[in-house]
Amino acid sequence: MIELLSKKLNWLDVEYWFYILNDLSLIYIILPFFVLELIRYAYLKRLTKDLILDSIANIITFGAFFIIEIVLGLLAITKVYFWLYNNFSLPHLELNLVTIITCVLLADLAYYWEHRMMHRIGIGWATHTVHHSSPHFNMSVAYRFGPLDAILPILFSLPIVLLGYDPILVLLSEIFVQVFQTLLHTEIIGKLVKPVEYIFNTPSHHRVHHGSNKQYWDKNYAGILIIWDRILGTFEPEVEKVKYGISEPLDSNNPIKVFFHGLTRLYDKVKKTNGLKNKILVFVKPPDWESK
Amino acid sequence: MKSSTLLFRSLAIVILIAGSAHLVSYTSIHSENSKSKLKLKEGVDTNSEINSTENSSAAEIKNQEGFDNTTDYIIGKWKVNYHSKDFNGAVIYDLKKEQHIFNAYTYEYQDQNGNTEHAKSSKILSIEKFDGHKGEGIYNIEYEGKQYDVPCTIDMIDENTFKLSYDYYGYSDTETWKKL
Repeated sequence: MIELLSKKLNWLDVEYWFYILNDLSLIYIILPFFVLELIRYAYLKRLTKDLILDSIANIITFGAFFIIEIVLGLLAITKVYFWLYNNFSLPHLELNLVTIITCVLLADLAYYWEHRMMHRIGIGWATHTVHHSSPHFNMSVAYRFGPLDAILPILFSLPIVLLGYDPILVLLSEIFVQVFQTLLHTEIIGKLVKPVEYIFNTPSHHRVHHGSNKQYWDKNYAGILIIWDRILGTFEPEVEKVKYGISEPLDSNNPIKVFFHGLTRLYDKVKKTNGLKNKILVFVKPPDWESK
Repeated sequence: MKSSTLLFRSLAIVILIAGSAHLVSYTSIHSENSKSKLKLKEGVDTNSEINSTENSSAAEIKNQEGFDNTTDYIIGKWKVNYHSKDFNGAVIYDLKKEQHIFNAYTYEYQDQNGNTEHAKSSKILSIEKFDGHKGEGIYNIEYEGKQYDVPCTIDMIDENTFKLSYDYYGYSDTETWKKL
């Protein structure tokens, strides 16, 4: 077993596995599942114009986010990550199954923390609120991103590179966590068996995360493993029926408005806040913080 | 939950996860090194010190006990010319027999002007099957800064030349190895 886990692997093989798990998942699981959700909406007579426009807006925001992500990602990976990896990291880890599994675990923990920060600091919420602003909950919502959603993940994955993990492996692991997260955006799947619900993040746990019900605020930040929330005190089970969206609804399917509404609301808040120190604090304090 | 508790719990998780990865990596590298040292030592014992013949001539090798005429004639130094944007020149490899496997190690670099530089000995090729005419093995190639172990085939043209070919996920090449 140890021999299998520590057997040196080829990069091309590893990249191929991640290609199947990450890139191709859109074709063999996400799109078919979304079609299934649309059929379900139609059957339940919930396939409204608003839902279709909301889904279109989600995909458009993803396009805009993707362009920003590509530029930032390429710069971060090719310049900063490799520079740190080659100059300041712990001894470089061999490419084997243990390295891959632990890298995914660390990427998942980094995801937990960057996600938590997105909810708990003003500038983070200004971009992440876009993802939460949909009143619906389906796979297209997973693609609803804000303009700065790519920045925190880059910062939070830097320590993993410093721990000796290859930057490309870190990037592939982060995408894997994101793909897993995508699959959780559904109302079709109810609660799963208890051991799974205890260890893994599930659609039920993630519905809670998207709830605007007061008791569901800032809960269940996990990517793949819900145990991070259990260990770090942010777990909440799904009990009350979830009301999706944010406390101040957006009421618009205009993709530009959807994409930038968090930043414009932050700008308005900064404008209304008195004093330079308080204005700066708006960016780093929790989103519900008000100056005295 | 207090911030300090959050910090300590998170750090403990990171140390546990990254620590196990480093432990496995460290153990694997060290056991690989000791295995290859052991193989080398056993090779010396069983093949009448064939491995210690780095500076011996081919004739001396042939005279040694346990020499297999059908296959072992490939033992010795081989030269491969490379013409790429990264390297323009030749590499001399030292091909040895270790525990019934033929392993080639980097021996010397030569640039296009004939300047030579002694190379750090690192294993580049393992010929696991060889019948004297054709063989199969693992070739270590470097692509965009990363090392890949790719399956390869050996095809003897004559006693002093063989073709080494590989095709890995569409990345293919054939090298000509010339005996010195």
